[in-house]
Amino acid sequence: MKELDLLKKDWQKNDNSFEQVSEIEIYKMIHKKSSSIVKWILVISILEVSIWTLISLAFNTDDYFKKLKHDELIQYFEVLTIFNYGVILVFIYLFYKNYILISTTASTKQLMKDILKTRKTVQYYVWYNLGMIVFSLIIGFVIAFSYNPDVSILKDKIANDGKIMAITIGILILTIAVFFGIFWLFYRLLYGILLKRLYANYKELKKIDL
Amino acid sequence: MSENLEHSFVKQLQENQNIIHKICRLYTNGDDAHKDLFQEITIQLWKAFPKFRGDSKFSTWAYRVALNTAITLYRKTKRSISTIEFEGRQHFTHDIEYNYEEEEQIKLMYKAVYQLNDIEKALVFMYLEDKDYTEIAETLGISEVNARVKMNRIKGKLKKILNPLGI
Repeated sequence: MKELDLLKKDWQKNDNSFEQVSEIEIYKMIHKKSSSIVKWILVISILEVSIWTLISLAFNTDDYFKKLKHDELIQYFEVLTIFNYGVILVFIYLFYKNYILISTTASTKQLMKDILKTRKTVQYYVWYNLGMIVFSLIIGFVIAFSYNPDVSILKDKIANDGKIMAITIGILILTIAVFFGIFWLFYRLLYGILLKRLYANYKELKKIDL
Repeated sequence: MSENLEHSFVKQLQENQNIIHKICRLYTNGDDAHKDLFQEITIQLWKAFPKFRGDSKFSTWAYRVALNTAITLYRKTKRSISTIEFEGRQHFTHDIEYNYEEEEQIKLMYKAVYQLNDIEKALVFMYLEDKDYTEIAETLGISEVNARVKMNRIKGKLKKILNPLGI
């Protein structure tokens, strides 16, 4: 068949007519990992914030402050809450931006940069949250000791007895440490695994880029 | 270990990508479909790569897996293609009466091959790649005689597509 022979001739000289796919593109195809990891970071952070919001809705702090007879605390608390949500929203926006960046980059160098940037953002986010937990606990203790009538008996005892004071401070520090530890572990599990995978991708990219 | 595997896969595929592009060219119609099939084949190759032992050349192994992927995918989308097929056929009935330059005739041949079914395309691919009938038969899991018969039928079919009136 003459047409088929013609096709064959064309076929065999045709090798260079295809738009070549780069190694990095192949890498991205078989992985799609980086962008899916960053997507998960975004999804998990949103879920996490939603869960915290639901929990905080379930516990109404206003009653507690009213009991303390210091209504001005409610305002301070509101300011703090708004500030906290503001910061977290900024983080979620950054996660979203990272996701868009990573899913659209085409060059190895840029992708590596974006991965490092994403890692940093997540690390800042985790440290901010851990810092906020410690800060809230300390503030909570200070408020309890300054204003809560239930604690005033303990306060009198502490004033008279150095040993009790030492024990109380010890317990408070231990409480903070335990909370810090629990949340550290929580974040480590939640984001640590994702970050580790992201870093493995980074190392792989570095090898290809050499 | 697995990282080295990955690196060697990406490198070899990059070097042998034309074979996959060629399969995409036979099985798809248009740039986007070409890219989609290329990506799908890449993923399937990567999944199958741990089983590749290097007793054949990478390119040989790759085109077999790629053909299987294309055949499977093509089967799934067979129905949606029928309208394009019809338009294509109309097009040829009008155009074939003129005397075409070589380039134009090659284009028509590609269009004609595109109208073949999944297995027929695979046969044409291997024919164009100069594979012998032993290899064609082995790849498709049919007998050598059967492969020859099929190839002859395909030639007939292509002739009919190019010149439906038999002039």
